[in-house]
Amino acid sequence: MTRWGMVIDLDKCVACQGCTVACRMENNTPIVSPEQSEMGRSILWNEVFPIEEHAEFAAEDTNATFIPRPCMHCDNPPCIKVCPVEATFKSDETGGQVLQRYDRCIGCRFCTLACPYGVRYFNWHEPQWSPEIALHLNPNSEVEPRPKGIVEKCTFCIQRLHEALELAEEEGRNFRPEDYQPACVQTCTGKARFFGDLDNPDSTVSQLAGSRRAFRLLEELGTNPKVIYLKEG
Amino acid sequence: MTLRAVYDSENIYFLIEWADASESIDNTDAGDRLALLWQVSEISGFEITGCNQACHSGFPTGMWLEEEGQGADFWLWEAANTNALGIMDDRYLGYSLGEDWQFADAGDWESGSRADIHAQAIWADGIWTLEISRALDTGDNAIGADGTPVDVTFLEMLYNPDRIPGPMRRIGAAGSTNPADWQPISWREALTEITTRLQSLRDAGESHRVAFALGETRGQMKDLFERFAAAYGTPNMSRYDSVSHQLVKTACLLTLGRYDLLAYDLENTTFILNFGGSLLEAGRSTHRYISGISFSRRGGSNRSKMVTIDPRYSVTAAKSDEWLTINPGTDAMLAMGMARFIVGNRLYDEEFVRNYTMGFEDFNDENGATHQGFRSLVLSEAYDLERVEAITGVEATTIARLAGEFAQSRAPIATLPIRGGLHTGNANGLYTAMAVMSLNALVGNLEKPGGVLIQRDIPYTDWPEYYVDDTMIASLAQPRIDGADDDPLAESIIQNLGDGLSNSNPYSTDMLFLYHVNPSYIMPGGQTFADSLQNVGLVVDFSSFLTETAAHADLILPDHTFLERWQDVPWEGLGYAGFGLAQPVIPPLHNTMHTGDVLLTFAQALGGSVRQALPYDTFVDLLQYRTSTLENSNWETMTRIGKWGTGPHPFAEWGSENWQNLVGRDRRDLYQDGRFDFWSRELFYRLSGLHPTEVGIQATGDAVLMPHYEPVHYHGDETEYPFILNTYQLMALGDPEYTANLPTLQEIIGMHVGIRWDGWVEMHHEEAEYLGLINGEQVWVESEFGRVQTRLKVVKSNHSQVVNFPDGQGHTANGRFSNGRGANPNALLPLESALAGTASFSNTRVKVYKVEG
Repeated sequence: MTRWGMVIDLDKCVACQGCTVACRMENNTPIVSPEQSEMGRSILWNEVFPIEEHAEFAAEDTNATFIPRPCMHCDNPPCIKVCPVEATFKSDETGGQVLQRYDRCIGCRFCTLACPYGVRYFNWHEPQWSPEIALHLNPNSEVEPRPKGIVEKCTFCIQRLHEALELAEEEGRNFRPEDYQPACVQTCTGKARFFGDLDNPDSTVSQLAGSRRAFRLLEELGTNPKVIYLKEG
Repeated sequence: MTLRAVYDSENIYFLIEWADASESIDNTDAGDRLALLWQVSEISGFEITGCNQACHSGFPTGMWLEEEGQGADFWLWEAANTNALGIMDDRYLGYSLGEDWQFADAGDWESGSRADIHAQAIWADGIWTLEISRALDTGDNAIGADGTPVDVTFLEMLYNPDRIPGPMRRIGAAGSTNPADWQPISWREALTEITTRLQSLRDAGESHRVAFALGETRGQMKDLFERFAAAYGTPNMSRYDSVSHQLVKTACLLTLGRYDLLAYDLENTTFILNFGGSLLEAGRSTHRYISGISFSRRGGSNRSKMVTIDPRYSVTAAKSDEWLTINPGTDAMLAMGMARFIVGNRLYDEEFVRNYTMGFEDFNDENGATHQGFRSLVLSEAYDLERVEAITGVEATTIARLAGEFAQSRAPIATLPIRGGLHTGNANGLYTAMAVMSLNALVGNLEKPGGVLIQRDIPYTDWPEYYVDDTMIASLAQPRIDGADDDPLAESIIQNLGDGLSNSNPYSTDMLFLYHVNPSYIMPGGQTFADSLQNVGLVVDFSSFLTETAAHADLILPDHTFLERWQDVPWEGLGYAGFGLAQPVIPPLHNTMHTGDVLLTFAQALGGSVRQALPYDTFVDLLQYRTSTLENSNWETMTRIGKWGTGPHPFAEWGSENWQNLVGRDRRDLYQDGRFDFWSRELFYRLSGLHPTEVGIQATGDAVLMPHYEPVHYHGDETEYPFILNTYQLMALGDPEYTANLPTLQEIIGMHVGIRWDGWVEMHHEEAEYLGLINGEQVWVESEFGRVQTRLKVVKSNHSQVVNFPDGQGHTANGRFSNGRGANPNALLPLESALAGTASFSNTRVKVYKVEG
């Protein structure tokens, strides 16, 4: 079975935030006003953080690390267990992405609390764009802007998987794993991101996942993330 | 009416028939028309009232939808207009309240997505029969690209609501951003007015009274501007380079004999000694540096080591293996200390130094006078490592260790900063860049794999000859308005331009053209620039936004954005020659015009030598001509693959004919001998007849012509102004002037300090504690030149006596997303120029204090 996963090499990542922006352009996450973003309500599915900002225990002055953080697409996702309406689920038939059914979500935000990685975003308002800027929205109906009052999150650009499957069918050939790449992987200038099938021992991601530098965020929680980081240095 | 539709795999077709007793081909409301309105998002009431839902009788104008988020596609067929062209006008409706919100798609009736519906009707026997076809997917709205944030947010630039929609004339007060003060005019009117004025100046022998100010301008647009100015007859071409990379180019000229930026073979390097450069955030070619450095971070023995020397803990410093918190303005001292260790321990490349350099050893000139060489300079007391430690704040043992590692690494490079610490208000910056270059020469890494590469030129087709008359020669020989001819090294000095304009010195300026540059905003002390424009007869700005400078222009002739225009973009930083051929990915959204086409229109109208020099009707014609003789390609191939290039890099063997042609090329003839100058012959020549102190050089003797350390003199007394101000470029905004008005970039602007949609100043936590300042509060930052208010960001890692202030915020004009956020640090800096025309960014002290009340 396919198990889509991502490897992010922190030695190559230079924290340019190209991924953050590419994600927004692909997935139509709304621009949030200065006042709202001051309240921590920015909706960026793939943010980059300096670790020192959040870790007062950093002993040395000079060991800041930047970490880009998409959804971990856990194999054992805590967000699913708390959802009272089964709006969030792990989509095993498409390769294990953790997805959100926007039409079922009731906006209770249990999942945003349960997620230890903070990757779930609540829409406090209707998405707002000036009419001119709205013209650039990705026309794909799967990423139609989400309404007020529901939770949204990184999907590993599931719409790109659907598009790739359709294209393969149209062209009368088998789907190839490399046909499917999330926007953040495609855009990465430093080529720090890798994407593929973790269950295929020959894939780049499987091999990198076995590297001595490999680690997962908050592994001790038993969430089994499918996003794997490679340490710097 | 009957309506039938079918579709196949590519297109959808409609056949519409309706009865109409008369055929009315009339370009008024009386004419026959048919419109189809398609819901893009749900429009309430649409199923009952149809297109009436968008009609608003009783209001003076037009059509719009009344609920947020609603949109409709709107196809309009007119018997009088579109029928003759065989199309329907592809338009759309959007949400607004009380204002017409009906617009055409991009393009015009003959091209672009506005013309992608084919439609033709005939009227016979009281029946209109209309056939329509349209591709099921017209490709409109396609997205997908790679790159840094600035690149990926280009859609917010293209569709920015603050773009200037067409040519405008200012009818209100200078500086006004109120739309009522700007009158839309036609291109014909604008171009006629300008051409007439250009012509009459030229006829009067006063063509030098026309001046140009250019921002980042490359490829054929740069050549076009230069050629236009030369053939028209004005020496007044001021570039933004003097606030950017002019100094680095000059340092390369004085040492390597190339007035150019260097390239680095980052993929194969083993050691990057990065002097003050935020390579990853604000490198000259950010893509190039990111991809090269990331590639070099691969496992095993091939992984590069990167050492960053910077008072600020930048993202680049954080990504480096080692960060040296150097005292600001002392990089030259550190480089000289490293050179001393390398020379003293004979770790340098003896073959290279002996055969391909000049002035390493002491020497006698043709008159028998003895001159000091680089060896004895670095071994002199001045660069004793204890002294270097005292001045730089970097421990002598660290200097020695890193110098040894650098010299013995297989493929080391020392990288030059582009701006930052080099713009010190005196000769310090120039000699710093020369000292860093000398480290590269010592280790013999020029034109070697993993080393420093000399940028190869693109062999564009030669321009046609043109006739030069005496009037032109006289005009071209006039002194420059920006005073660059008074500086022995400067190509141009944009920060002096305002002074020349205000004081009509050396003569009054009649016309000024501004291209992709906003001097009022980007220059230290630039706020006075706008006022100087009052003294110019006609100011023309090609800006896409109503910037701080553009708001003072008389005419704005907006250029296409880069997604809408043709452009060759020469590659920088790879070494080998090549360019990307940017092509319109979308027809112009607005009534804009390629500035290249504007200049060629002038050339056509002016005729004579200008037309001879530029015999092209459009910029694309010019591009085709200039690329017509490039090897291994042709226009069709270039446009298909979007580039032309010659890689991989053709390393020039030391001493080969190729090498001789490269090294020293831009020096005066006598010195074109393939040698790297430790003792700069070009500088000797340029300074002849001048006493070094006249151009602000503090050194004496042969040191004047060699890399050395000169202390920086700061504006402001240390006791009153305890901090040195360090301004820097943000990775999120990059360099282009419009980026602060892209909302997504505002949302990620201060990722490394946790700030969005705002500006800030960074201070070391111990200093903040000492001053009783709290993280996040509003503070005044004050220098001798002014004060600005911004947010305080307390940081853990930084030089304690330096405060960092990012560029890019504090816009007063530009657009709705950028205006009034944070402050512009340039308001704290002096308007001045040092040797080589350098603007001053890093020689000012400031104090920081709480905003009371």
